[in-house]
Amino acid sequence: MQVTETQSEGLKRAYTVVVPAAEIESRRAARLDDLRKTLRIPGFRPGKVPPTLVRQRYGSAVAAEVLEQSVSEATQQMMTERNLRPALQPKVDLVSSETAADAAAAADLEFKVEMEVLPDITVPDLKSISLTRLKAEAGDEAIDRALQELARRQRTLEDVTEDRGAAEGDVVTIDYEGKVDDVAFPGGTGTGLDVEIGGSGFIPGFAEQLVGIRPEESRTLNVTFPEDYGEATLAGKPASFAVTARRLRRGVVPAVDESFAEKLGFESFAEVRGLIAQQIQREYDQLARLKVKRALLDALAERADFTAPEGLVEAEFAQIWGRISAERASGQGDSEDAGKDDETLRAEYRAIADRRVRLGLLLAEIGRSSGVTVQQEELLRAMRAEAGRYPGQETKVMEFFRSNPQAVESLRGPIYEDKVVDYVLELADVTDRTVTPEELARSDDEGAETAAAAAPAPAAGEGDAPAA
Amino acid sequence: MNTTAAKRPTLSRESMYQIIRSPVVTEKATMLTEKHQVVFRVAIDASKPEIKAAVEGLFSVNVTAVNTVVQKGKTKRVRGRPGRRSDVKKAYVTLKEGQTIDLTTGLS
Repeated sequence: MQVTETQSEGLKRAYTVVVPAAEIESRRAARLDDLRKTLRIPGFRPGKVPPTLVRQRYGSAVAAEVLEQSVSEATQQMMTERNLRPALQPKVDLVSSETAADAAAAADLEFKVEMEVLPDITVPDLKSISLTRLKAEAGDEAIDRALQELARRQRTLEDVTEDRGAAEGDVVTIDYEGKVDDVAFPGGTGTGLDVEIGGSGFIPGFAEQLVGIRPEESRTLNVTFPEDYGEATLAGKPASFAVTARRLRRGVVPAVDESFAEKLGFESFAEVRGLIAQQIQREYDQLARLKVKRALLDALAERADFTAPEGLVEAEFAQIWGRISAERASGQGDSEDAGKDDETLRAEYRAIADRRVRLGLLLAEIGRSSGVTVQQEELLRAMRAEAGRYPGQETKVMEFFRSNPQAVESLRGPIYEDKVVDYVLELADVTDRTVTPEELARSDDEGAETAAAAAPAPAAGEGDAPAA
Repeated sequence: MNTTAAKRPTLSRESMYQIIRSPVVTEKATMLTEKHQVVFRVAIDASKPEIKAAVEGLFSVNVTAVNTVVQKGKTKRVRGRPGRRSDVKKAYVTLKEGQTIDLTTGLS
């Protein structure tokens, strides 16, 4: 095998490879001989077919197969010899034409390989990255608030015994007859409807006009259907409802105590409290992790100062651009992008694509050099988690994963990314700072501003991580 | 008596093709090539002199001997009804020492 470099420019490489005819021929003979041992042709016992006959019948098929194999093997060999790591599948062009395969018994196999190599990525000093990890404790106040919210959803209704009109928070049971232009419309009449004063879900002004109503009192309510009402024939029309109150009840929020816990099916009140505290803490932790990860990726992107292979950037950009175009076509493009012309947009998204590719490559490289791998059971866990998102169809989802290895592979990316991030976080200089929950949530909004320009970037490794 | 006409039948090229149906490609036929013999399936009514003339005419070789065999068709049943495959005549043609016929290339 003879390799000549014809181009070496930036990350692009091109080679011409010549494989001598003798080598090809011997491989072809070996393959035919292999075939002969098991071949069944009428008139011959298996393994007794003369070589000439085998060659005559299967020669061209074997030649094509050997050709393909030789090309891929030679390319592989060349790459390991020269220590090349291609960014994309190398492009191979045969110089001797396809049809020559038949007559090529004597001709040397010559082909051109074009590819882009991965840049030399030096993993930056991870210890030099300093990050602040925010931490928030689930305070008593937050827990109490959550408990109150829970209690409110558990409220019971009790008849109002004292003689008074409906007030905020009360539930009035009404019979009603609605008319538009003095004509009753379908669905506008009914009995025994519960309306919460101060609640939502009715035509604006409907519940408000019921304030002060007493049982067995009748009123006429004048309301206007909102413009975006579900029923087109009614939207924006004024209507009048003749309403008679039948019953007046008020919502009673249960006291947050032991008996409340019992009603929810827990042993003790402390257990409920503990569970809620855990839940809140988990939310905070997730938020905190998201933030520290974003900061880490930002820091890494700054340090990823190598040039990204054009082919990869191009592919990534095409993907982004395709999505953006589709969004714009359906009229839900980013409002920020509205004023810009194609040219600027393209440049912007290309920069994002470039950043993503570099980040993905860097993450992959860090993972590779530190030996981060995704275990089978981790994949399995992710599959289960994914299945858990579709209650009642878990088996179906698992079935889907079993029959679609690609789908499983798509789970691998995020896991890998997460593990690499974990690894880097361990090495990096991370200072913990305890903040209030409000601060944790707020500074995220601030962060969103700066991250907006690079918004897709934290997702970088997620989809691609190409060399992984 | 002079039966030259029968011994050396003059055949048109077309009738030669009709006599020689196909080569027989089997282990036995392959082995026989070492004894410079070639096996053909031939027309059931072809005579040895005709076969000789046809092989000589089509492949430009010298034939020293022709042996023939009529392979009787098997009796087969289709839906219980007896039927018979047609008989096949095979010819073992011996060529002059040193000559061969390359069957793999086919007739041009």
